[in-house]
Amino acid sequence: MVPGLTETAGPLERLITMKTAECEGIEETGALLAEACVARVESVEPIPGSHNVKAVVDAGPLGMKTVVCGAPNCRPGLLTAYVPLDKKVVQGVESDGMLASGAELGINRDHAGIVELGSLEGCAPDAAIEIDNKSITHRPDLWGHHGMAREVAAILGLELTDPARLDLLPQGPAAVTVRIEDFDLCPRYSALVFENVTVQPSPLWLQYRLTAIGLNPINNIVDMTNFVMAELAQPMHAFDADLLHGDTIFIRAAKPGEAFRALNGESYTLEASHLVIADSAGAIALAGVIGGGDSAISEKTTRVVLESANFQASSVRKTSSSLKLRTDASMRFEKAQDPVNTVRGLARAVELLREISPGIRLVGGLADEMREMTAPPAIELSLEWLERKMGRATEPSEVRRILRSLAFGVSEAQPGVFSVTVPSWRATKDVDIKDDLVEEVGRMVGYDSITPRAPLLPAAVPPGNAARRFQHDVRNLFVDNGFTEVYNYSFLSEEAARAFGLDPAAHIRVTNPIASNQELMRASLLPGIWKNITGNARHRESFRLFEIGLEIHRREQGLPEEIPHLVAALYDRQDGGIFELKRVAECLLPGARTVPAEARDYEHAARAAEIHWKGAVVGRLFELHPRMVDTGRAAILDLDLRLIESLSGERTKYTPIRRYPSSAFDLSVIAPLREQAGKLEGAIAGFAGPLLEAIQFVRQYSGPPLVEGTKSVSFRLTVGSPERTLSSEEIAAIRTTIIERMRDLGYELRV
Amino acid sequence: MLDESIQELASRCLARIAAAGSPEALEAVRVDAVGRKGALAEISKGMGKLTPEERKRIGQVLNAAKQQLEAALDARKQEFGDAALRARLDAEWVDLTLPAPGPRRGHLHPITRIQRELEDLFVSLGFTVLDGPEVETEYYNFDALNMPPDHPARDMQDTFWLDGGNLLRTHTSPVQVRGMEHLGPPLRMIAPGRVFRNESVDASHEHTFYQLEGMMIDRDVSVAHLLYFMKTLLTAIFQRDVTVRLRPGYFPFVEPGFELDIRCLICGGPGCPVCKHSGWVELLPCGLVNPNVLRISGIDPEKWGGFAFGLGLTRLVMMRYGIDDIRHLQGGDLRFLEQF
Repeated sequence: MVPGLTETAGPLERLITMKTAECEGIEETGALLAEACVARVESVEPIPGSHNVKAVVDAGPLGMKTVVCGAPNCRPGLLTAYVPLDKKVVQGVESDGMLASGAELGINRDHAGIVELGSLEGCAPDAAIEIDNKSITHRPDLWGHHGMAREVAAILGLELTDPARLDLLPQGPAAVTVRIEDFDLCPRYSALVFENVTVQPSPLWLQYRLTAIGLNPINNIVDMTNFVMAELAQPMHAFDADLLHGDTIFIRAAKPGEAFRALNGESYTLEASHLVIADSAGAIALAGVIGGGDSAISEKTTRVVLESANFQASSVRKTSSSLKLRTDASMRFEKAQDPVNTVRGLARAVELLREISPGIRLVGGLADEMREMTAPPAIELSLEWLERKMGRATEPSEVRRILRSLAFGVSEAQPGVFSVTVPSWRATKDVDIKDDLVEEVGRMVGYDSITPRAPLLPAAVPPGNAARRFQHDVRNLFVDNGFTEVYNYSFLSEEAARAFGLDPAAHIRVTNPIASNQELMRASLLPGIWKNITGNARHRESFRLFEIGLEIHRREQGLPEEIPHLVAALYDRQDGGIFELKRVAECLLPGARTVPAEARDYEHAARAAEIHWKGAVVGRLFELHPRMVDTGRAAILDLDLRLIESLSGERTKYTPIRRYPSSAFDLSVIAPLREQAGKLEGAIAGFAGPLLEAIQFVRQYSGPPLVEGTKSVSFRLTVGSPERTLSSEEIAAIRTTIIERMRDLGYELRV
Repeated sequence: MLDESIQELASRCLARIAAAGSPEALEAVRVDAVGRKGALAEISKGMGKLTPEERKRIGQVLNAAKQQLEAALDARKQEFGDAALRARLDAEWVDLTLPAPGPRRGHLHPITRIQRELEDLFVSLGFTVLDGPEVETEYYNFDALNMPPDHPARDMQDTFWLDGGNLLRTHTSPVQVRGMEHLGPPLRMIAPGRVFRNESVDASHEHTFYQLEGMMIDRDVSVAHLLYFMKTLLTAIFQRDVTVRLRPGYFPFVEPGFELDIRCLICGGPGCPVCKHSGWVELLPCGLVNPNVLRISGIDPEKWGGFAFGLGLTRLVMMRYGIDDIRHLQGGDLRFLEQF
């Protein structure tokens, strides 16, 4: 298709990668074909005690050769392929070269015996460049070799020849009638009928071509349809005409529940959203996806209906994904193929069938139903705009040359503005706006010709992201206090959710999870942290870690609620670290109160509390229940960072330093052992009145001389006034009030 | 006569001062010598008998002796003080090679570290940092990015679907759309974050990883501008001059779309196993924002244009630290995390 091509596969691969599509590698094929030649087996002698035979072959220009061969079909008179190799002795016989199988030569996948052939013409070592499928998702034309050849010709400035000769299409009334129910779903359906067909293996050149690109040779008719698909990106299908009912082909929606047996041997139950090709008896193919098993080509076939059609991309994609059936045809159609291409495919087929099925005859003319095809509107391309987009100037003549080499039509509608028409194979979905043309010109002139340039922009402070800033600050605080950051997955198992008292049904569920233990979206960071604790406890005596991540909670409507949380854990084989964790929490939340709370099932029954800050419950502090971690103690802090961030950020206001001295005195309260110091402190502070500046826990004590079951809790109170120095009488009065009121509550004070 | 006894007294006292073995003994010498009832005081008591001239002269001699003795006493006292301080300091020896109590500093996750580095870099270039939800709608993840339902490009990203019809975002690109909707043009934004693809996990594949999306929208944004920002970004990331190249790449939300490669930092170009012997390493997809994407988000593509890129944070972290197994990043193993 590019007669002047001299580049070898390596440089060609690089050019295609830089200008068209990503290449993934080069596969060399048919290495043995370099020296292989056709040879005739002259005589065969058995080798005693072996299934091998000693064969003498006439290797044409290489002369008479004696080889050892293990193939069961090695027989006198056979034309096969001889490959010269170094002489070696096999079972006492000197073997000078080898006879090769189709698989060894890379022609087909036949390992059973040596190749039987008429000619090796068209078989030579070759290289296949593998293209990354994803990089041509938008290019229906590149799903055929001709499209890639056009690119290569444009890149190298070479001539492109077209393998399709439309003059080969027959004239006159068609032998089949085509009825399209919905032209949106099937914009065009073309077909030809052939008779006197011989179904046989394809010539080796054809088998070799298909094998090189990973397709399996089957028979000449099927191989031809695959060849045209690979060459022109036009999927085709051949029906055995004698197995069809009636002479009308219907393209219609499947009937709900309609049964269809496909070529792959599977049976499918169809829905109305599936498009089928049908005869008067029922579905004979799933449109654009796969043919039917009941009308397949076989050795008995003598008459063929050859389909070359165009189907709507999204319909084919929907059908193929709903039936989980991806085929070479569906992959091409879902990229939006060109309806113009159907008859090109048939023209190419006529030419090929004459060669590979000698004596074949066309019956009637071309059947060709289509909706009216309109040329897409021309695109206006301003060269000044093109320069602004690319960031470099390109000569108008260069722009014109590039676009024309890719088969775009270019005329200068007005000075500096091109009117560009799009070739049909690029117009289905790929190119319809001027921005698409920037890519065509850009890739061909080469993006490496563009010099990086800084834009001229006003200096401006970008809007801040307070929530993210806050989370970074929290991370710093915990890292400074010895905690190491972990990242856990957003997925949970039902079991892990239940372990933390969470109802699996309340979680958002992944409908296609990787594994059954990853099917819930986490509504808590605790299960992940628990796993970190038990995992690291295997090789550490003591550690601190934390995670900041999103809890994901189901909402009645719309997107779920995603709440950033911090979970920090302090593990030690011996000591509980809950007070250390409390200290760090207070660094983040100055003035926070830890309020004992009823323990949840996974919490230590006597060591669980809520964290209260600025009038809100912002989190929980607890030790894990010993049942959850049996090697040591794990203290855990779980904070709602969204709530905390919303409560933070009030501006600090300066208070003058007091000019008058404050006074301090201590009070010790006798209380039952489990009385909370925080409660006592609150009561005392309340009784101290407005002159109290501060109250601070000093120590607690239990033991003699105190009554058993009681403790003494000491506080230091600081009192003062911004207006004057308090008199000793005033201070004594505050002290006395507190003592009396505490006694009213039933507490003794050690004074 | 009196002069001599004063001299003698003074030398005797000086000898005692020098001989005093303790601050207490020194104090006793002081009391004996210059105390109110000490030897010098005794002598001055007897001065009433002297002539005025003699009294004056002897007074001067006495004063001189007293000053001499007091200076000697002070000096000796200072010696005792210095010795005591030296003794205390010596007694307070500690072994400073012992470890300090309390926890060591913890460690930020390597992804956090790199992410922050990039956030700071982009903020310094005038970009704002945006967040978007991890659970997204089909609209933001696909439709608004020019990937309508049944677009084959959706196959490029294996998607986790959730009950209720939402999905886990497969890229950070939905934040582009949210950014355009909320902030409008002109816009310079990045969006780092967690993304999900339905892929089996092995040493080089993860279903959960991190990306950093970037977008700039302004009046005239060109491929040359995109190249400038990418080169600036990558030079800062790798802390050396990097050579970049653009080649065609297909992503529905950009037109033209590119794959950006950098010259292999290991071999510098001739080819090595890291770059699969090509001399180039594929690093990030980018392109000029597709006008359809602008239009969907209410921005007039005739007036505004832009570029967008998506940087694989996880991949970058692995390159930076030479991490050979992606699973470590979400494995929670402190033996790994404490290395950063």
